[in-house]
Amino acid sequence: MKKYGPVRFLPIIYSIMRLSAFVIAVICCTVFIVFAHPPVYAQNPLDKTITINLNNEPLKQALDKITAVSGVNFTYSETVANSKVKIKLQAANKTLRQVLSEALAKYPYSFSALDQEVFIRYDAEKLKKSSIGTQVNAVDDKYTISGVIRSQKTGETIIGATVRVVGMPQGTSSNEYGFYSLTLPKGAYQLAISAVGQKNIVKDVVLHQDTKLNILLEDGEQELQSVNITAKAPGGRDLESTQMGVEKLSVRETKNVPVLLGEHDIIKTMQLLPGIKSAGEGGGGFYVRGGSADQNLILLDEAPVYNATHLLGFFSTFNSDAIKNVTIYKAGMPVQYGGRLSSVLDVKMNDGNNQNYGVSGGIGLIASRINVEGPIQKDRSSFLISARRTYIDAFLKLSKDTNVNRTSLYFYDLNTKANYILGDKDRLYLSGYFGKDVLSPDNTTGINWGNATGTLRWNHLFSNKLFSNTSVIFSNYNYKIKAQQAASNFTVFSQIRDWNVKEDLQWYADEKNTISFGVNSIYHTIKPGEISATGNSGVISQTLQSQYSLENAAYVSNSWKASSIFSLTYGLRLSAFSILGPGDFYMLNADGNITATRHYTQGQVVKTYINPEPRIAATLQVNDMASVKASYVRNVQNLHLISNSTSASPTDKWVASTNLIKPEISDQFSIGYYKDLSDHKYELTVESYYKSMDNQIDYRNGADIFTNQPIETQLLYGKGRAYGIELLIKKKTGRLTGWLSYTLSKTQRKIDGINDDNWYNARQDRTHDIALVTIYQLSPKWTLSANWVFSTGDAVTFPSGKYQVDGTNFYYYTERNAYRMPSYQRLDVGATKLLKQTKKFSSELNFSIYNAYGYANAYRIYFRDSKTDPGRTEAVKTTLFTFVPSVTYNFKF
Amino acid sequence: MMNIKHFSLFLIFAALLCSCDKVIDIKLNSSATKYVIEGMVTNEAGGAQVLLSQTKNFSDNNNFNGVDGAIITIEGNGAVNVCTAAGNGVYQANTLIGVPGNTYKLTINIKGNTFTASCTMPQIVTLDSVYVTVDNLNTNKDGSIRKYATVEYKDPAPVKNYYRFIQYLNGKKEKSIFVNNDEFTNGQEVNNPLNFNNDNDDPSRNIKKGDKLSIDMLCIDEAVYKYWYSLVDGASGNSNTASPSNPVGNIQGGALGYFSAHTIQHKVITAP
Repeated sequence: MKKYGPVRFLPIIYSIMRLSAFVIAVICCTVFIVFAHPPVYAQNPLDKTITINLNNEPLKQALDKITAVSGVNFTYSETVANSKVKIKLQAANKTLRQVLSEALAKYPYSFSALDQEVFIRYDAEKLKKSSIGTQVNAVDDKYTISGVIRSQKTGETIIGATVRVVGMPQGTSSNEYGFYSLTLPKGAYQLAISAVGQKNIVKDVVLHQDTKLNILLEDGEQELQSVNITAKAPGGRDLESTQMGVEKLSVRETKNVPVLLGEHDIIKTMQLLPGIKSAGEGGGGFYVRGGSADQNLILLDEAPVYNATHLLGFFSTFNSDAIKNVTIYKAGMPVQYGGRLSSVLDVKMNDGNNQNYGVSGGIGLIASRINVEGPIQKDRSSFLISARRTYIDAFLKLSKDTNVNRTSLYFYDLNTKANYILGDKDRLYLSGYFGKDVLSPDNTTGINWGNATGTLRWNHLFSNKLFSNTSVIFSNYNYKIKAQQAASNFTVFSQIRDWNVKEDLQWYADEKNTISFGVNSIYHTIKPGEISATGNSGVISQTLQSQYSLENAAYVSNSWKASSIFSLTYGLRLSAFSILGPGDFYMLNADGNITATRHYTQGQVVKTYINPEPRIAATLQVNDMASVKASYVRNVQNLHLISNSTSASPTDKWVASTNLIKPEISDQFSIGYYKDLSDHKYELTVESYYKSMDNQIDYRNGADIFTNQPIETQLLYGKGRAYGIELLIKKKTGRLTGWLSYTLSKTQRKIDGINDDNWYNARQDRTHDIALVTIYQLSPKWTLSANWVFSTGDAVTFPSGKYQVDGTNFYYYTERNAYRMPSYQRLDVGATKLLKQTKKFSSELNFSIYNAYGYANAYRIYFRDSKTDPGRTEAVKTTLFTFVPSVTYNFKF
Repeated sequence: MMNIKHFSLFLIFAALLCSCDKVIDIKLNSSATKYVIEGMVTNEAGGAQVLLSQTKNFSDNNNFNGVDGAIITIEGNGAVNVCTAAGNGVYQANTLIGVPGNTYKLTINIKGNTFTASCTMPQIVTLDSVYVTVDNLNTNKDGSIRKYATVEYKDPAPVKNYYRFIQYLNGKKEKSIFVNNDEFTNGQEVNNPLNFNNDNDDPSRNIKKGDKLSIDMLCIDEAVYKYWYSLVDGASGNSNTASPSNPVGNIQGGALGYFSAHTIQHKVITAP
C-alpha cells in the first residue's frame, strides 16, 4: 500500500488560498451593495399614456414618433418597416394600447407587449377577418423551402433554430448542421426564425417554386420571446416536438454560472439540471436518471470520448471556448444514438468564424486558454484552434524543495477544426481533439492519460429534402502508469481505440413526415494492459489479451405530425455487437473459477449479440402554452466500465461484452408535462420516468482488479431499476434569469451474490436533489450570479460492528449501501465585470467563490483507531472544498 | 505488483486541494454478534492454535473479545487433535506440527454452533534473504530517510504460490498486512519491498540504523491469500473502495475469519 507523499503539495495551495483572501473581501462587499438595490417595478409598455398627432405618416415613421414621445421601443419585421400604410391619428392622454388599436384598426398588423418593448407584426388572421388583402392560395401544389441558418457575425451554423410559419401550424427546426427544410402549399408566407442567443427575425417568402433560403441571424444580448411572432406554439422552446428528456445548453448560457476555480464547464452547469447528478464533489463525472457514470454516451463532434475528465474528475475535457452547444438526452434518445444506457451528451464544437479573424482567451487561477479562429477563404472556409493548459506545475517549479519542484502536474486540451464549403450542396468538416493529463511526483513514478479524437464529415444535399452526413471518426484513449519500487521500474499501458464509420440521412418527406435513417459501424480495440518491468522485482513483462469487437447498427425513424395538436415519432435501431478473435474465451462456474477455455483465431466471430431497440415518442399539444409528451426507449450497451473506487480514476477498466458479459439493456418509459407561464416568461417542465436495467455488472466481494485472470472471474451480474420525478422552472428573459430544479428519485440494484441477493440502493441513489441557479444583469457592466444546491447524501456501506484479526481492528458489514452520507449543500457566487467593449476588443473579469458559506460537505467518511484514545475506534470525515475563490480574466479581439 | 495495484492517486489530489479531516459522531447500527475465528497450523512446534472471539459494536472499546468454552479439534496427520483452552479465547494443539502437502480440518463447536474449515499446507519456498531498501520518493514524517524491509525468494514455476510476510521491528509487530502472489512473477527471483503507509506517523514503525528487523515468511494457500487480500481491501475501514465488504473467508457455518495451514520461516537482520 504505497502512498505518494501528498503532504508536499499543501504549502503551495495554502499560499494560494491566503492570497485570495483579499479578493474574497472585495467580492463580499460588492455582492452586498448589489443586492441593496431592488430592481424597479416594470410597467406594461401598453399601459403608458401618450399624446400624439400623426398626419399620414408611413408606418415606420409613425412608430418612430411614438417611440420619441413614449420612450417605448418597437420591434418589427421588414414587412412592417417597408409598409406603404400611412397612419392618420390624433390622441390625447390615451394609453398606447388605445392608440395602436386605433392606428392599426384598418390594416393587417397587430401588436403585443414584448418585455419592455412592443412587437408589431403582420397578421394574416386579421387580414382574413377584415377581408383585406389576398386569400391564401388554395392550390394543391407544394414546394420546399430549405437552406442553412447561420450567425451573421461569425458564419457559424446554428443548431436547433426554430423556423415557423406565421399563422399556421407548420414549422421545423435546423438540424445539427444548421440545415432546415419545410414543404408548404404554394403561397405567400412569413417565416419566423428564432434561436437561443440570437435575435428573432421574420422573413417574407413567396413560394411558387422550390426555394433555397439561407438565413443569417444576428447575435442578441437577450433572447427575445418568439411568443408574439406566431399565433401557434410560441415560446423559446418547442412544445410541439416529440423529443422529451432533453436539455440544451449553449456556452453563452453557462458563461455566468459560477464554478470551481473559475474554469467554466458546461458539464458542471448541466449537473444543475434535474435528473443529472454530479458524481462527486467538484467532479466532471455525472449520473443520469439513476444510471452509472459509464452509461453516458459522450460525443465530441460525433467522436466518443471515453474519459471526459481531467485531473481525476475535477475538470471536464470540454474547453468552453471551443464548444458551440451541448445537448443531453435523458430519455427518448433519437435512433441515431445508441450504445449507452442512460444518456447521450452530444457536444458540438464551433466551426470557426468564416467572416473575420478573432482571438479570444482567458487567464485563470489554474489555467489559461486561447482561441484563434478565422476564415481561410471568406464565406467558404474557416478554421479554429483552441487550447487550454493548467500551470500549477509552474508554481511547483519555484519551490526550493526538490520533492516539490520535480513534480509534474498539468493537463492540456487542444481543439482544432476546419471546414470547407465546397458548393451549394456540399460541406466538409475536419475536427480534432487532443487532451492529456500528467500527474507524476518524479520522473520514475506517475501517471499520464489522454484522449484523442478525429472526425471527418461530409454534408451533402441530395435534394432540398434529403440531407446526408457521412462521417469517419477516430477515437483513442490511453493511460500509462510508471512506478518505481526499490531497484525496479514498472510501466503499465492501456488503450481503447475506435474506428467508426457513419452514414446518417434525413429525409424531409412531406409536410407531415420527416424520416431519419442510417447505418453505423465501429471497430473497437481494447488493450487492457501491457506491463513492462525492469529490475529485480521478478515481474515478467507481458501483454494482457486484447479485445476486438465490431459494433454495427442500422436505424430508421419517422417523425409524423399527425395533426396540429398531435405528433408521433416512431423508429427502430437494430444493433449487432460481434466479439472477434483472436483470443481465449472461457466458461466459469458459480464461484468464478474457469471450467473450460476455447481459443479463437484472428477474425473468428466468438459471438454476436443482436438487439432491436424500439423508440417511440408522442406529443399532444394541449394549447399554445402547454403540451403533454410520452416516450419509450430501449438502449443497449456493449462497452462497460468496471470500477470500484469512490472517485473516477483514469485506470477504471473498460471491457467489451464477451461470451459471459452480456450486453446491458435498459427500457425507459417517461411522461412529461410542459407549460409556459406568464406570457412565456417562465417554462415549467415536469417529467417522470421508470427505467429497468438488465445485465448490470459489479465486482465480486474481494475482487482483484489488477489481475491477468480473465476479468469475468471477478464479476457478478444482476439488474437495476430507477424511477423518479423531475421538476424544472426556467426563466429565460429579463434581467433576472435562471432556473430551479428538483428531483425526487430512487435507483437500486439487485446483483446475484451481493447483499444476499436483495435489492439495495445504488451508490448514486439520492432521494432529493435541488438546484437554484440565478443570474442577474445588474448593469451593462456587472452580471451577478449564484447557485445553491442541496441533495440527499449518497447511499454508502458503513460498518455495523468491528472485530480483531491478527491484533488489528477490522470492520464488520451487514448490508450494502444501507447508510447515507450526510446531506450535501453548497452556495456558489460569481460576478462578472465587463471591463471594455468596443467593436475590436472586449474584456471581462470574472470572480467566483465555490462553496461560499464554507459548508463542510463530506467527500468520504472512513473509520480508524482513535488517534487520541487508541482503545476506541472513530469515524473521520474528509472535506474537500470549502470557500474556494477564483479570478479569471477573459478577452476577445 | 502491490505498488501498482494500490496506486493511490486519489490521495495526492485530495491533499492538493487542501482536504481536511475531522473526527465526527456518527450513529452506526449495532449488529448481532458473530464469531471470529483465527485458526492456524504451522510446520513448527506450538504453531497450531485457534483464537476465538466475537464482533463488537463500533462504539465499544477495542479489547479483544475472547470466547471460552468451545470444543475445538484439528484433524490432520492421521489424527484428531483436540485443542486445549488456554483462556481468553485462545486454544492450542501443542503437539500438532504441520507437514507441507497435508490437509488439515478444523471443527469448532460452541453453544450449538458448528464451524468447519479445511486447508492444505503448501510446500516451502525458501526465503533467500532479507535486506533494507531506501524509498527514493518519500521521506518519513520527521524528515528521515524512509526504509523498507525487502524479501528475496525464488518463486517455483510449476505451481501457484501465495505468500504472507510479517515484520517485527525491535520486537514490535508491524500491523500492515503483506501478502503477495506469483501472478506476474511466476518462476522468477523475486525482490519484494514490504512497503507500507505509516498512517499514524508513529516513529517506532520507521526502520532506523541498528534496529532489529525480523521477518516471518509464510507460504499460504489460495483461499487464505484471498482472505488477507480482501480483508485489507474491503474491511480496513479506510480503503478507497466504493463498496466495503466482509472478506472472503474459508470457514463454513457462518463465522468470520480464516483457517490457515502454512509454513513459516524466520530471518533476523540488523538494519544498516
